[in-house]
Amino acid sequence: MSAEREGARTRLPGWLAGPCQAVTTINRWVFMATATLMAIVVPVMLYEVIARYGFNAPTTWAMELAVLLFGPYFLLGGPWLLHLQGHVGLDLVRQRASPAWQRRMDLVNYPVIIIFCLILLWYSVPAAWSAWSYRETSFSAWNPPIWPAKAAVPVALVLMALQAVVEWLGVIFRVGGADRHDDSGAVDGAGGSADAMVGEVRA
Amino acid sequence: MSSSAILIMMFAGLTLFMLSGLPIAFVLGGLSLLFTVTLWNPDAVVVLVLQIFDTMKSEALLAIPLFILMACILQRSGVIEQLYNAMALWFGRMRGGLAIGTVIICVVMAAMTGVVGAAVTAMGILALPEMLKRGYRPEIALGTICASGTLGILIPPSVLTIVYAVTAQISIGQMLIAGIVPGLLLAGLYVGYLLVVGWLKPDWLPVDEHAVRPSMAERLRSLKALIFPSLLILLILGSIFFGVATPTESAAVGVAGALVPAVLSRRVSFGMLREAGIDALKATSMILWITIGAKAYVAIFTGLGGADALLDFIRGLAVNRWLILAAMMLLLIFLGTVLDEIGIILLTVPVFIPIVRALGFDELWFGVLYAITIQTGYISPPFGYTLFYIKGTLPPNIGMDRVYRGVLPFFALQIVGLLICMAWPDLVTSLPRAMSAR
Repeated sequence: MSAEREGARTRLPGWLAGPCQAVTTINRWVFMATATLMAIVVPVMLYEVIARYGFNAPTTWAMELAVLLFGPYFLLGGPWLLHLQGHVGLDLVRQRASPAWQRRMDLVNYPVIIIFCLILLWYSVPAAWSAWSYRETSFSAWNPPIWPAKAAVPVALVLMALQAVVEWLGVIFRVGGADRHDDSGAVDGAGGSADAMVGEVRA
Repeated sequence: MSSSAILIMMFAGLTLFMLSGLPIAFVLGGLSLLFTVTLWNPDAVVVLVLQIFDTMKSEALLAIPLFILMACILQRSGVIEQLYNAMALWFGRMRGGLAIGTVIICVVMAAMTGVVGAAVTAMGILALPEMLKRGYRPEIALGTICASGTLGILIPPSVLTIVYAVTAQISIGQMLIAGIVPGLLLAGLYVGYLLVVGWLKPDWLPVDEHAVRPSMAERLRSLKALIFPSLLILLILGSIFFGVATPTESAAVGVAGALVPAVLSRRVSFGMLREAGIDALKATSMILWITIGAKAYVAIFTGLGGADALLDFIRGLAVNRWLILAAMMLLLIFLGTVLDEIGIILLTVPVFIPIVRALGFDELWFGVLYAITIQTGYISPPFGYTLFYIKGTLPPNIGMDRVYRGVLPFFALQIVGLLICMAWPDLVTSLPRAMSAR
């Protein structure tokens, strides 16, 4: 995990260090909280399967609840994954580039992420806002409110944009070389999360 | 600005940012959105937002985190080690037995999980040292592990297959079941190759003459390790095949099932579940953020007429449809060597499926060919994913050049398998067609 290494190499001005740390910490909490959603999804689906196939008494709510949690689950896991360098990218060229060039690439790359989030935010906020103001429901048999799920889109985009800004500042104030993947052993596209997934077996 | 000029600029930008190492999700999403709002039609973003909402309530995609979570739990449950021990007891004394046993374990693991890295690393840790100690030629050992470790792409439950089926909008259950026969076919090709090598070059796969023959009782006891995986496989594939449950429901049952051996071997703990949950979210989040980026890209690509232009171009070629199919396969293998597989599916399926339909090919069958080529991309040097999974397990005296040389024969076997499936489509389609309709 590159968090500590990055901290060691990056000299943020004091007034920036606090907020940056806060963003990363919040995103870490959000990630951890999001990961526990599966502890709801799996039992709920098991209940549904048993009720339907075992007792021929399907619920109206179980599957819908599980699916409703799915969107926030994958969206809110994204920002901290950015900090972990867990979103896969193509590394063949950048790995061969000098640290100075890697830094230049990062200086351009993070703004692309910020732009992506801002454009999508601009169009998703009205959609999420109207869902909230009409207290939109799903019109199914269970009919739950669906604005919380829709609100997850702008929330995740804001968190992702903030994390991208933090990472970008980290690059701007980076002292020395680039840190990305240079310590991971398994590289060229197979870094990040896929690598973390197999880490346990390897250990 | 004309549509084609925008498309060309966009492709140039995509290539540039892809090479700079920007994560694929944001290369696709960021550039597509930028071009959409500045040069094309900002209203299209509204449609994209609606598509994201749709993705969020996709019951089919919910199977992805569940299958991944199942794999993450199984990896930590000790099942794999038990399977390996059983295999060594039964096949250890045969010529090439450790390698053949590795193929078999990989098939079992592939049928339990849909994650590629798990099998490759596990076999790299467990089987590789044993095979090297026995004096197997390292190239053979490494090639066997890399190739059979990637069978998870074909043999259900496979995360990549789910992504394909959702993107191509065909039945996930049928697509999953369609991978069984081709997956077993490839495994059979690997085993056949190992037998031939053992026969032609006995010193490449030496037999330990002095090994103590394990007693029958000991061997039978080791079979206990097979009970649980067989049950789990029967449960998941059976419920999908007979239409008892949706793939998503069977995935949830699979998560619970994966906990059973972990509980039995007393490996289950809060910490273990927490780690499994974290890894599952990392992988899921990565895949689905790419999905969002790819949707933005597909929206502008088709919106600007790129897909239609390509389709017209191919129709206008007036060449044999098999030639076009071969060209698509070659392109996929090439992309597989440089690009992330989920990215490839999301990028090419929306473009290829209309072509496949226009040419009158079966989408299910094409899906399997797709999976085989992607699997080939996984092991093709120098940038296949698998090669980097195995890299972490190599002993210091073995370099990556031996891995590259080792996978080449298996690369050829992949092509043979691909050609067999192309020549006899029934191999692929008869099993899913026999499924209960659902």
